[in-house]
Amino acid sequence: MTTPEQLALIHAEIDGELDAGQRAELARSLLADPELRHVRDELRRVCTALDALGDVEPPGTLQASILAALPHTPVRGTRWAMGWRYAACLAGVAVAAAVIFTTMRGVRPAPTELTGTLAPAAAATLVDSATVSGQGVSGSASLYRDASGFSLELAVAADAALDVRVAGEGYTLAVNNLKNQGGRPIRVLLPGLEPGSGRIDLTFLSSGRPVGSASLRAGEK
Amino acid sequence: MLVSRCHGGDRAACGELVSRYQRPIFNAALRMLHQPEDARDVAQTTFLKAFEHLGDYNPSFKFYSWIYRIAINESLNALGSRRPLAPLDADEQADEAPGPEQRLEGEQMSRAIDKALMGIEPELRTLVVLRHFMHLSYQDIADIVSLPEKTVKSRLYSARQLLRDGLVQQGTLL
Repeated sequence: MTTPEQLALIHAEIDGELDAGQRAELARSLLADPELRHVRDELRRVCTALDALGDVEPPGTLQASILAALPHTPVRGTRWAMGWRYAACLAGVAVAAAVIFTTMRGVRPAPTELTGTLAPAAAATLVDSATVSGQGVSGSASLYRDASGFSLELAVAADAALDVRVAGEGYTLAVNNLKNQGGRPIRVLLPGLEPGSGRIDLTFLSSGRPVGSASLRAGEK
Repeated sequence: MLVSRCHGGDRAACGELVSRYQRPIFNAALRMLHQPEDARDVAQTTFLKAFEHLGDYNPSFKFYSWIYRIAINESLNALGSRRPLAPLDADEQADEAPGPEQRLEGEQMSRAIDKALMGIEPELRTLVVLRHFMHLSYQDIADIVSLPEKTVKSRLYSARQLLRDGLVQQGTLL
């Protein structure tokens, strides 16, 4: 029976990352276990074949089409310079807005006059929810929407840390290394998910293997 | 230097960057997507996005890690928006371009690997592509996929074993 530790040693050997002690340990295991030798030979052949695959020549027109699509007036300046430019613009707009507001509104009202005029922030509304089912994972997934967009609430219990792949039509998002919350909900924003995106599929992965799934609907187009 | 010249509007410098990186980026996209036309689109989008956001590039990091990250994300986006493909047939095109026996064996192995590669999760495929086709270090891969190096290793190990299983199933590893 090949153990995970033995497999890790084989992979490290393939990567040339074994020290002398590990090499000796692997050699002992290989000597004692023909099945392990077989596994090692196959993995080495796979990796040798992968490394030996040659490159494909990119299309001859690729470079020209990229350069042709470049704008002729480049965007200059660093992120910081751009940031300062935006900040200066925003400050100008804010000052102008304050002057206009004060001019039109006249004297500022007493604070008590404002009571009752400040609406609470719009609460997120539940769009859809579904049960998460699979091996080693259970719980629920709920899709919420508020003024800032969609968010996903996951309340799952799992045997190990999970990755979650969110996929819809023209939309993908990966949530990596989701720790076991024991069923306590966590909220994940789904930036860019548009209303009417249709079906959203969630795939729960453990060590890269699918262990559970759920589907939600973000509304029809 | 080349990057800052391109950012400053030097089209020759941009052309030099394309010339330097188009091959690995096109090949990474091709291994991820298995469709030359899609790979070409991803390569083009990668460069245009990179040039558009050169102001966000931090020169204290490696440029290739930065642009490969864009290429991988674009490939994953393309996969996400793609309709499910028919399963690849290892025997397809087997009669095309007959050559010396050794070359044919190499092509068969290449097709078998492509089929096995397309059979694993895109996130795992990403790691195989970065490690075995782009020959990056684990540290570089960890930077590109934003995962700890240890996690990258354990997932790549899983990916290799899944590839081995796939090749055994196809009868390629006997």
